[in-house]
Amino acid sequence: MMKLLDISKKYGEITHKYPFEPYKVAENFRGKPAYIYDLCIGCAACGVACPSNAITVQLNENKSKLIWEFDCGRCIFCGRCDEVCPTGAIKLSEEFELAVKFDKSAMIQRGELEVQCCSECGKPFSAKRLVKYSLECLSKANLGEKRLEEAKSYVNVCPTCKKTATVANFTAGKEMVIE
Amino acid sequence: MKCDKFIEALGQRVKILEVTRQYEDQVTALVELNDLPEAVRFLYYDMGGYLSTMIPNDERSINKHYALYYALSMEGGKMFEGDEIAQDEKCFVTVKVLISPESLVFPSVTPLVPACVWYEREAYDMFGLIAEGLPDKRRLVLSDDWPDNLFPLRKDAMDYRYRPDMKEHYMEPEYDFLRPEGSGMIDVPLGPLHITADEPGHFRLYCDGDTIIDADYRLFYQHRGMEKLAENRMNYDQMGYLAERVCGICGYAHAIACIEAAEKAINLEIPARAQAIRIVCSEIERLHSHLLNIGLACEVTGNYNAFMHIFRIREYSMKLAELVTGGRKTYGNVVMGGLRRDMTGHEIKESLRILHIIETQVEEVWDAVMDDQRQMKRWKGVGILDKQVARDFSPVGPNIRGSGIKRDTRYDHPYDFFKQVKFDVAVVEGGDVFAREMVRYMELKSSVSIIRQCFELMPQTAIIVDPKFHVKPENYSLAYVEAPRGENVHWIMQGSAQKVYRWRCRAATYNNWPSLRFQFRGNTIADAALIVCSLDPCYSCTERVTVVDVRSKKSKILTHNDLKAFSQTLKNSPMKDLK
Ligand code: SF4
Ligand code: SF4
Repeated sequence: MMKLLDISKKYGEITHKYPFEPYKVAENFRGKPAYIYDLCIGCAACGVACPSNAITVQLNENKSKLIWEFDCGRCIFCGRCDEVCPTGAIKLSEEFELAVKFDKSAMIQRGELEVQCCSECGKPFSAKRLVKYSLECLSKANLGEKRLEEAKSYVNVCPTCKKTATVANFTAGKEMVIE
Repeated sequence: MKCDKFIEALGQRVKILEVTRQYEDQVTALVELNDLPEAVRFLYYDMGGYLSTMIPNDERSINKHYALYYALSMEGGKMFEGDEIAQDEKCFVTVKVLISPESLVFPSVTPLVPACVWYEREAYDMFGLIAEGLPDKRRLVLSDDWPDNLFPLRKDAMDYRYRPDMKEHYMEPEYDFLRPEGSGMIDVPLGPLHITADEPGHFRLYCDGDTIIDADYRLFYQHRGMEKLAENRMNYDQMGYLAERVCGICGYAHAIACIEAAEKAINLEIPARAQAIRIVCSEIERLHSHLLNIGLACEVTGNYNAFMHIFRIREYSMKLAELVTGGRKTYGNVVMGGLRRDMTGHEIKESLRILHIIETQVEEVWDAVMDDQRQMKRWKGVGILDKQVARDFSPVGPNIRGSGIKRDTRYDHPYDFFKQVKFDVAVVEGGDVFAREMVRYMELKSSVSIIRQCFELMPQTAIIVDPKFHVKPENYSLAYVEAPRGENVHWIMQGSAQKVYRWRCRAATYNNWPSLRFQFRGNTIADAALIVCSLDPCYSCTERVTVVDVRSKKSKILTHNDLKAFSQTLKNSPMKDLK
C-alpha cells in the first residue's frame, strides 16, 4: 500500500487536460481522411481501394455530375485511399475528434465534379478533370506530335464507343498503326 | 518430413484413406467416419496433441459432402517434465472426415476428448451436422429463437444480409441451463452483461450459501457472423481489416493469423523485415492487453490505486502503438505478402525510449502489488484450473501456462520472426488467479525483450513481396498466432476469383470457456467476477445479477453496482436476506 503511494508521489499528476488542452498525436497518425476538392480528378481509384466502401464515386441521378462521396461513419482509417490517389487529393489527417451530435449526415462529405460527355454518343462517361489529367500525363510522356493529336480526339470517346469503333475498323480491314 | 511419424502411427490404429500436405508442418489425414473418435483420441492423448480448432465445412459443391476437420497441435502432453515432443517434430495433424448430406450425422468425439464439446455444438448450429453421442446438444452460437431449420453457414442457406424475424420476448424459448442435483441450492445468474468490461455473457452460478457448486453460461449474444460476411464476397485485401475487428483488444493477432492462413495456403514467404515488424506490433499489443488485464484484476478486487497506476503505464504502450502504426488500437498494416508500413530509424529510437519507461515502471508497480497482502489474499488459491482439466480441454494462453503447462504457440510452432528471437516461456504452477497474473507479468518483460531483439536483428529488406500470386481454389491452410489471450487459429479454404471459400476464425477465449465451469467450483460468488476476469475473456461486464433461492423460490435482482461493490469490499453479501 505504502509503496503505491510512493509511486504516486514520484510521478505526480499525469492526467492530461484534454479536452481543455489539445492532444498531440504522433507523427504519421492515421486520422480522418482529408479531401481536397480542387485536386480531385474523379478517377475513383480511392473508391476501388477502400475496403469498407466508405468512398463511392458515382454519377448522380440525372447523370449531370460525378459525385465523390465519403462517409466517415464507415471509414476504418486504413489509409488505402491515401496510398492510391494519384494527385494527393485525399490524405489522412491528424483529426480524431469525429463525433457528431444527432445529425449523422454531418459525417458525409461530397464533391461534385463536371462530367465529360462522349464526343461520339454524347453520354457522360468520366469527369472532365480526369480527361484533362490524362492529356497532361500524355503530353509529358514523350509521344510523337501525331500520336498526341490522335490522343486528343480519343480521350473524349467513351469506352463503349471506342470498342465499337475498333470493331468497325477491324471488320472494315483498316489497320491501326501505332507509332 | 515433419508429421510423417504421426501419420504412420495413426495408420496403424485406423484406416487412413488419404493423406494431403498443406504446409511443411501441416498434414491432413482423411479417415472413415466411424473411426473419427478413435483417431482424434489417439492423436490427442496417446501421441500428445492438443485440439487447436475444428472446422465444419460445406463441401457439397466440391465433393458432394460436408466435411469436418479436427486440427490437432502435436506438441506433447506436457503433464510432466519431458512429456513433450522434440522441437523439430512439432506440427499440426488434421483429421478429416466426410459426412453425407443425406444423413448429416457423425459420431461425437466429445465423450473421448472433452475439448471438442463447443466445436461440435457449433457444428450443429451453423451446418446442422448432428454429433451422435454428444452429451450436451444445446445451441451454442445462435440465439434461442433462431429458426429451427436455418443453418447459416450452409452455402445455400441464406444471404449474409438476411435477418430472420425475432420472436417477442415472451415467446422466446427458455435456454436450458445445466443445473446440479440437490436441494438448498441457490441460483445466481450473472449477466446478461459481464462485470469487468461491457460485453454480454450470461452466467448462472449454483450456490450453496456463498459457495459456488457449479456454473453454466450462455455466450455469443453478439455473434456477428463475420465468417459468413467474408465468404465468397471479400477479397484478401479486405479480410485483413475485417479480421482485425474480431476483437477490440487483440485484433492484430487475428489480422496476422487470417492473412498468414491465406499466405500459407499458397506457400508465400514474406520478407524478414515484414516478419519482424509483424512481431513487434503483436508484442506491443500484448503489452497493452496484459497491462489491461492485470489492472482490471486489481480493480475487481477493489484495489483502485494499483489499477490507476497500471493504466497509467498502459498509456505508454498505446502511445507506442500510435507511433509505430499510426493507430492506437487498429494497426491496419497487414496485407497479403507483407506489410504496408515500414519503421523509420527515428521511430525505432523513440520506441526504445518508451519501452524503457514501460519496463522500469511495470517493475515498480508490480513490486508494490506483490507487497500488498490484501491483494495477494484475493488472488491466491482462487479459481484454480486443475492440470488434468487443462489437459482435457485444451485451454490456451496464460490460462494454461498458469497451470504449469508449457504451451505457447510462439515456442511450439514458431511463426514469422520467432525462429530468430529468443525468449523464455512463462510458466507458473498453481493454476490460480495469482499464477495467471504472474504469467502475464513475466510476459510483459519477455515482450519488451522480444521487441528489442527484433529491432536489433531485423534486416534491411523490402517489407512486401511482389503481390503477383495466384490463389488456388480448394487449397486450405491453418495459421496460428499467440495472441495475448492465447493461440488464435485461423483456417482458410480458398475459393475462386481471389475470394475465400471458407474462413474459420477461432479466437483464443473460445478454447478457454469450456473449462471455466471447473474453475468456478468451490469459490465464493464474490470471486466469480475475478475468476472470469483472470481468464481475460474479451472483457464483459455483469450488468445485473438475479439471485434465486431454489427452496423458497425467492429471487432478487442485483444491479451491476451491487455485485461489483460486494466483489470489491466483501461487505453486505447479497445472499443475506435470501437465506
Ligand atoms: S482511410 Fe481506408 S476506409 Fe477510410 S476512406 Fe480511406 S480507404 Fe476508405
Ligand atoms: S483523385 Fe484521388 S480523391 Fe479523387 S477520385 Fe481519384 S483517388 Fe479519389
